[in-house]
Amino acid sequence: MKRERPDVLIRLREELRAFLGGEQDALEERMTEGQVRPAAREAAAPDIEYRLMMENEALEAKRIAARLHEHNRREVSRAGRIVYCALCVMVCLMMITLLLYTMANLPAFGSADHPINNEVSARYIEKGLQETGAVNIVTGMILDYRAFDTLGESSVLFTAAMVVMLLLRMDADSQAYSPLARYVRRSQHADTFYEPHQDMIMQKTAKVLVPIVLLLGIYVVLNGHLSPGGGFSGGAIMGAALMIYVTAYGFDSIRRFFTYKTYQRIVLVALLTYAFSKCYSFYTGANGIHSVIPLGTPGAILSSGLILVLNICVGFIVTCTMYAFYAVFRKGEL
Amino acid sequence: MSVEMAYRALTVAAMIVLVALSIACLARCIRGPRISDRVLAVNMVGTLTIIMVSGFVVALGEGYLADIALVYAMISFLAVVVLSKVYTGIYRERKHEEARLAGRQEEASKP
Amino acid sequence: MMAWIRFFLTAALVIAGLVICCIGVFGVYRFRYAANRMHAAAINDTMGLALCLLGFAVSAPDAFTAVKLLLVVVFMWISAPVSSHLLCRLEVETNEERAEYMTVHEHTLAEERALAAAAQTQIEAQKGDEQA
Repeated sequence: MKRERPDVLIRLREELRAFLGGEQDALEERMTEGQVRPAAREAAAPDIEYRLMMENEALEAKRIAARLHEHNRREVSRAGRIVYCALCVMVCLMMITLLLYTMANLPAFGSADHPINNEVSARYIEKGLQETGAVNIVTGMILDYRAFDTLGESSVLFTAAMVVMLLLRMDADSQAYSPLARYVRRSQHADTFYEPHQDMIMQKTAKVLVPIVLLLGIYVVLNGHLSPGGGFSGGAIMGAALMIYVTAYGFDSIRRFFTYKTYQRIVLVALLTYAFSKCYSFYTGANGIHSVIPLGTPGAILSSGLILVLNICVGFIVTCTMYAFYAVFRKGEL
Repeated sequence: MSVEMAYRALTVAAMIVLVALSIACLARCIRGPRISDRVLAVNMVGTLTIIMVSGFVVALGEGYLADIALVYAMISFLAVVVLSKVYTGIYRERKHEEARLAGRQEEASKP
Repeated sequence: MMAWIRFFLTAALVIAGLVICCIGVFGVYRFRYAANRMHAAAINDTMGLALCLLGFAVSAPDAFTAVKLLLVVVFMWISAPVSSHLLCRLEVETNEERAEYMTVHEHTLAEERALAAAAQTQIEAQKGDEQA
């Protein structure tokens, strides 16, 4: 019968001892830890040349790691390392004290002479409902008063997704890569090969749950101007619904309706719709022209001008980005 | 003693109890010798958070906080499911590799 | 009067739910193995959550919010068994010292019965050989 020990403390003590003894450089170990190439990829080798090439690569990597180790080894004495540890702890404690002291001296929450209560927020609160038509003032602010900022945010999301695609995605069908690379990517020895697939309980449950969660996401997106929610949170919920589907049924199953082309088209159309519909109000606002889009009755779902359209656009962008990140990090391709 | 004060007292007491239980679950998460213990503790902390958010629905009288509870339920379920799959995959891959390195053919051939 | 009835109903349900949550957390500490702890955690997920949320739904600000809280209960009751199932699969597959406290039956019930019947007939055949 095993009783559990506080092995966290034991491990901490061992790591501290190893660091003080000079056997381990703190940064280098972490950097080269996860770089072992899974040997399972070699078993998929179609021919001997590929296997030789992989072994050569492994030897090269070991030689480079050895040179790096020699270069990085610090000949610091034990006393120096103790001083380093002590300095780390002291700097952390100083930062903690400083931040706690600042927090204690902040003005009280909700006091009348808080510096945040200036005329800008007063205007938003008093005239927000009347000028934007949105019952939820925060949505009115981010999608009407400061919609340019939200356009910037959506663009940043789009740029981040594109960069991740550029760095990590490998389209197995494209002719830009060698047949060998395409074979390796397509082969079964990818990261998700060893995971349990096609769990019957998970599939039956996903059949029931995914529509519920998608409906919840759509509800949150459409009600952005009436209750807390909006495009970002609703998009995250819809992305999570897609993740549940993928976990239950597998990547081949979701590729029937969500491929890289789908992702491209949805994200581009959504972002361009956002940009063009907000261009309209830049033109009218800057030239003092009154906007012709009706604000409707506050509290109804078809109200507050363009906010509904913008919420839907942002929702689509966030959904596709969430699922794309998940797929690229797990499988390597969308 | 009015009804509002009674509701106030009830929700404050419930919150204190739930926070204490969450800290206990966190201790189990740190101590638990196996991965399953830790994922289990995270799931329990998520459930207690859902109860806390629902307590806020009554305490503040706002209806939209129930949406947050629903979303959090979904997120914690997704987290447990994906973590279980990933850890099983990692374990199986490590076993396969050890069998292959040790030269055990019958174990290395099955997926 | 109505408000007080509602308050006492809420208080009863919520206190019952919190007691069950305490039992769940206590069980997670008291049991020794991960597979047993999953039973205690499942108590938390199903009964604790249902009683607490039912209590809160009784005194929710409006009916739509009460329906939303009941929807949370329905969602958790559908998804919590699936989480437990997958977590248990993880535990059974990756625990190398499980023979100490766990017996895993790898066949279905029908297969077990068939195997037991086959073993029984074999024993009887051996006894018949010995007697003859």
